[in-house]
Amino acid sequence: MSNMSGQIRKPSAARNTLGRLAACAVLSMPLMGSVAVAQETSPTEPQSAGGPPEVRRLTESQYRATVADIFGPDMPIVGRFEHGLRAEGLLAVGTSQAGISTFSFEQYDASARGIAAEVVSEKRRDQLVPCKPHAENSFDAACAKQFVEHYGPILFRRPLTGEEIKRYVRTAQAAQQRLGNFYQGLQFALAGMLVSPDFLVRIEQVVPDPKHKGQFRLDPYAKATRLSYFLTNSTPDAELLRAAGAGELDTDAGLAHQADRLIASPHFERAVRAFFEDMLEFDTFNELAKDPVIYPAFNSTVALDAQEQTLRTIVADLVTQPGDYRDLFTTRDTYLTRALGAVYRLPVATRNGWEKSQYPANSGREGILTNISFLAFYSHPGRSSSTLRGKAIRQVFLCQQIPDPPNNVDFSVVQDSSNTKMPTARIRLEAHRTSPACAGCHRLMDPLGLTMENFDGVGTFRAQENGAPIDASGTLDGHEFQGGDGLGQAIHDSPQTPRCLVDKMYRSASGRKATPDERAYVDYLNQTFKADGYRVPDLMRAIAVSRSFYAISMPSVSANTLQHAAVHTSNGDRS
Amino acid sequence: MKKLNRRSVLKGVLGGAGIGVALPFLDMFLNNNGRALAATGQRIPVRFGTWVWGCGFVPERWVPSSTGADYALPPDLEVLAPHKKDIAIFSGYDVKLDGVANKPHITGCLGLRTGIPVPNESVRAPTIDVIIGDAISPGTRFSSIEVSTSGIDRSYSFRAAGSANPSEVSPIKLYQRIFGEGFQDPNAATFTPDPHTMVRQSVLSAVAEDRQRLMRTVGAEDRRRLEEYFTSIRHLEDQLALQLQPPARVENFTKPDAPPTTTMDSEIGNVMVTHKLMAGLLAKALQCNQTKVVNVLLWDTTSNVRRAGSSTTHHTLTHEEPVNPALGYQENVGWFAGQSMVAYKDFLDALAAIPEGDGTLLDNCLIFAHSDCSIAKAHAVEGIPMIVAGRAGGRVRTGFHLAGRADPATRVGLTLQQAMGLQVAKWGVQSMETNRTITELLV
Amino acid sequence: MDGNPAMRQLVLCALASAIAAFVPTLATAADTLANPFPNGEAGFIVSKIAYALSKDAKDTGACPDGMTQGNIEIYSESAEGKKHDGESDQDYSRRQVQGFQTLSTAPNGQNLCMNPEAGSPDPHYKVVTGKNIPADGIDLDGQDSHIGGKPAANTCAHDDFRGLNGEKGVDNQFFRLVGCSKSYQSTGQSNTYEIAMYTGEWAILITLKGVKDLKNSPNVEVGIYASADPIQLSPTREALTNATYAIDQDPRFRATTHGRIVNGVLTTDPVDVRFHWVVNSIHLERPLKEARLHMTVAPDGSLEGILAGYTPVEELYDFAYGFRNGKDGAGKPANLRLISGSANGQARVLDHTCNGAYFAMKQLADGDRDPKTGQCTSISTQYRIKAIPAFVVDVVTHSGNETLDKQ
Repeated sequence: MSNMSGQIRKPSAARNTLGRLAACAVLSMPLMGSVAVAQETSPTEPQSAGGPPEVRRLTESQYRATVADIFGPDMPIVGRFEHGLRAEGLLAVGTSQAGISTFSFEQYDASARGIAAEVVSEKRRDQLVPCKPHAENSFDAACAKQFVEHYGPILFRRPLTGEEIKRYVRTAQAAQQRLGNFYQGLQFALAGMLVSPDFLVRIEQVVPDPKHKGQFRLDPYAKATRLSYFLTNSTPDAELLRAAGAGELDTDAGLAHQADRLIASPHFERAVRAFFEDMLEFDTFNELAKDPVIYPAFNSTVALDAQEQTLRTIVADLVTQPGDYRDLFTTRDTYLTRALGAVYRLPVATRNGWEKSQYPANSGREGILTNISFLAFYSHPGRSSSTLRGKAIRQVFLCQQIPDPPNNVDFSVVQDSSNTKMPTARIRLEAHRTSPACAGCHRLMDPLGLTMENFDGVGTFRAQENGAPIDASGTLDGHEFQGGDGLGQAIHDSPQTPRCLVDKMYRSASGRKATPDERAYVDYLNQTFKADGYRVPDLMRAIAVSRSFYAISMPSVSANTLQHAAVHTSNGDRS
Repeated sequence: MKKLNRRSVLKGVLGGAGIGVALPFLDMFLNNNGRALAATGQRIPVRFGTWVWGCGFVPERWVPSSTGADYALPPDLEVLAPHKKDIAIFSGYDVKLDGVANKPHITGCLGLRTGIPVPNESVRAPTIDVIIGDAISPGTRFSSIEVSTSGIDRSYSFRAAGSANPSEVSPIKLYQRIFGEGFQDPNAATFTPDPHTMVRQSVLSAVAEDRQRLMRTVGAEDRRRLEEYFTSIRHLEDQLALQLQPPARVENFTKPDAPPTTTMDSEIGNVMVTHKLMAGLLAKALQCNQTKVVNVLLWDTTSNVRRAGSSTTHHTLTHEEPVNPALGYQENVGWFAGQSMVAYKDFLDALAAIPEGDGTLLDNCLIFAHSDCSIAKAHAVEGIPMIVAGRAGGRVRTGFHLAGRADPATRVGLTLQQAMGLQVAKWGVQSMETNRTITELLV
Repeated sequence: MDGNPAMRQLVLCALASAIAAFVPTLATAADTLANPFPNGEAGFIVSKIAYALSKDAKDTGACPDGMTQGNIEIYSESAEGKKHDGESDQDYSRRQVQGFQTLSTAPNGQNLCMNPEAGSPDPHYKVVTGKNIPADGIDLDGQDSHIGGKPAANTCAHDDFRGLNGEKGVDNQFFRLVGCSKSYQSTGQSNTYEIAMYTGEWAILITLKGVKDLKNSPNVEVGIYASADPIQLSPTREALTNATYAIDQDPRFRATTHGRIVNGVLTTDPVDVRFHWVVNSIHLERPLKEARLHMTVAPDGSLEGILAGYTPVEELYDFAYGFRNGKDGAGKPANLRLISGSANGQARVLDHTCNGAYFAMKQLADGDRDPKTGQCTSISTQYRIKAIPAFVVDVVTHSGNETLDKQ
């Protein structure tokens, strides 16, 4: 059931518009046009068939969060993580398609042994091992069983079978016999559990649905796992596992109670961060390279800080406040470090670490699209790229797919950023918009990206390019605007923006695209999102407590092609 | 007939008794680690070494103008041409001071080797060779061997402040220490398999018992993904089985003769001779597994070497010699800098001269060469030159030049530790803290 | 939206009381704005600094009596200091060091670098005596001074130099002091110390307030400070523009004065300034009394020109030669052996004697005349500097590595 707040929130767009200079065009559409009004009837959730049971590999952040939540925040994790697989624009969807390579497994094995050694170490065992053996150099079967029965269900996210318990106790015994020490026996049993597929992969079990003969539903532990990883990016805690075992997740009230509890917990912020890190494709950010002669202020610290800046803003605006999702594109509040200050050309008093700050009025910067994490990321090493930026706006924020360019394209004119006859990118990209082979796609990208040309390839503001003034006018959905702040407002006002977020949030939660049968459900989510003032925690709650989120329809024939966990593909090097 | 695999061959002997079984060499047992198998089907260990020369370099003669694999060797590196494929050049990686006073010739060297810039010799962490040695040396006769080839007993191998590993300065004394009393012929050594490895095998075996049940539970597509997982388990089990075999019997090894008497002083001609002799002895020591870690100090960080007929040391020249206006750098300082690379070639030659497996000893080594500073007269600790040599048994890639772009030098040290099999995710402190592996280097 | 009101307050306070600059990007140097300091305020960090001296002595004839020598050379030229027949290099080298040490000791047994006053003037220490030698710098005492003439108030008689462009009255007694030292020639070691600034050991900040017009501004408030934060560099080791730096909180290292821009040249009224300086991890200070700036403002918003004034002789000796009064990272007196080793070592490799420099600088001193003794106690010193745009804030900052440095 959706949660109606019943409160009208004045959009921050109004404040920003009034504060803006005349140089930036004001939108022609009425300011209040698309804001939610409280007095609508609350939408009702339609029936939905759902999708197949999932087999989803843990992401790196989920693995780390899971280990931290189970064993403590300072557990060493020594293995390396390979790049995730991105599908449908999200690593979260890739987890439903990725396998586990030999390299990956070796790394998990190394991490598992390290964690297990730490758990039974002298300084930790009092806290983390639930019993003491009679003697350290002999095998205490009762204590070993207690150990396995304690950690097994937490790690596997479900009760263990008798056979499984016996198997891991046997492992502990064999290790103890060979190595002599009881704790080492426990250590290897735990290491085994930590590399078991039941830990590394979320394998959903289904049971026959008592209410609908012939159909299936998720067993309560699978439900708990879906709920927990969605709302906390981590494993079900003890209370959630208890509620699952008591059947509470099969009631609407019980499910809602747990969802509210998780949203109120400090871990919820983690899940929001993980979602946006995925949606904004930050996993490849650290590979970003800039020409140090052209952009001397850019270095690896700036790259790290740029991502954190955007994520802090997102958490502050969407979770802590929480505010309207669309305001992310118009807010001037931000967070800075000194390394960022040199790129943004803003003072940052704090020498080490973060300080809350604001983009000055009239600086042309409003919203996360004017952050370095967007501008530098979607640029080339030595110059800006209106096409990459336009493409990213379409694909990342508006969920509009752009096809790849044809093979025989000549980029040389665009690459030459010092061409005095064609000083600005807009002029150089003229060919994109006039050549018939190019225009179809480029008309979608360039007009958006060109509005950001006041920001160079690392995101620093410039008034001119090669001595010529920059024309930062553009259109979106038929509405005209100017500059990065105008673009932010246009994205804020586009109805596609919140719809795209809903699509991606549902994809991330479910690990797959919505099926055609789920269209009504997705519409319902869009309606509740709007009714809730576009607040992300409310959207996530709406998904988490909906029946459709857990509905199962078994696949008849699967025709998906297998994709191995592969290195994430690059942004490409086109203009 | 029962399927013949490594496990079934070994099964009979896994009762735990010490064995020295020479297994037949069957092609089907080769996996990705094929290169690590010697002709006798036995495992070759990877060795680690550091090689330090003092007083930096002349950047215009040392830093290649392009990065990647196709870089041209600048003048001072030309002597290394025969080893170009074996070496990786790292320029532009810094020791970050962030306010710590720079003790000339000390802070840079120890900052690079410990990940923590200290304003004096009181290190705050063990040096990288000690960290790696603690992981790979247990069970070896010498945990590490340190030598200094310019006549002074100085070392930059520290376990803790005040606890430096002393250096051998005399080739004869080095020989006596390694090949004198207490030397055992490696080919006659008995071998005890590591019980930890056997336990790991049984653990993986228990985990893999779940395969049947899981395959029944999931759909067809997911079955294929999980199959990959179980294949990965099998690969790791194969690796463990490999580790349960005796270490390399040393083919081609003959005990060396004692070195001749030489002059051990700071005159550079004598230093080069001493260095060559010691390099040869160290190579033999590595070959027959007397140690897995060596540390060489070619000349001290305040370089004490001088040319024949002169009493002015290299270090004094760096502070005293005027810049040659035609060249743009100090000419004699540049000569010494060039000599450091000539010596480095001698060192690599000594390792490459020893055949091992289907290559040479160098292929199974990971050698970390570096200086204490970049520009000596300024004691600059940014852009300290580093060269990584050897293939570490296939675990690293070489043959390129990488520019650090002011990244901390700890990135190299972190990557080297990972290449040596250490389970470490980050290294260094404050602005030298890094978790970013250099993926060009690590396979 | 105030997620953290306290923090916001601190930042706003800092910005309100600080002197910050907003410098818009300029695509090329050809783009000129009437005033790159939109609200009349600007901050800078010094990106280049060196003593303003002259062309090399060999090209100007500044040293007709030869170049300064240090004790190794002095010893080697003496009768007993020559290499004996059959003497090995090592033995000779050892003997030279012995001779150096003997010559570096005062008659009362004290080391001459640590106690130069225990020695006497050194004829091997040469100063600039050539005629009509040009030197970089500005007129400090307001007149074209001559040895035989009447000195300006509070100064001592000395010869001025012609400037590099023929200007009269350049007071640069420091150049006179070091112009015949090999290490201060263009190929020498002593004038490339800005590289220490680039490793972050110290830095200098300048602030301007009240700049109405780049060409003419009658009332400019100028701040000259030591930086509390190390200089920030690009990956190619150039100083970054638009980075943020905090001013040193110690009032001894902060100075403000009044200035004006006339025809594009900024000049300031004299004020005492003080900077940090580190040698071999010995912490020292570089003072400049009655310091003044003479800088041009470039269209890209950077400053170039001269910072000049009078360095107190005893402190000049400390930071350039003897390192007396040096401190360690925790502010305690530095280890005496470190000081002595560094000072003597420097004397040995740079070929000067400590007492030679000391007595020469006392003799050449031309500022701060002590009315009782008639002696001048400071020496005119000129620095050529360049400063690039930066944000300057006045808050307390700490190095993340502070605990490491204070051992």
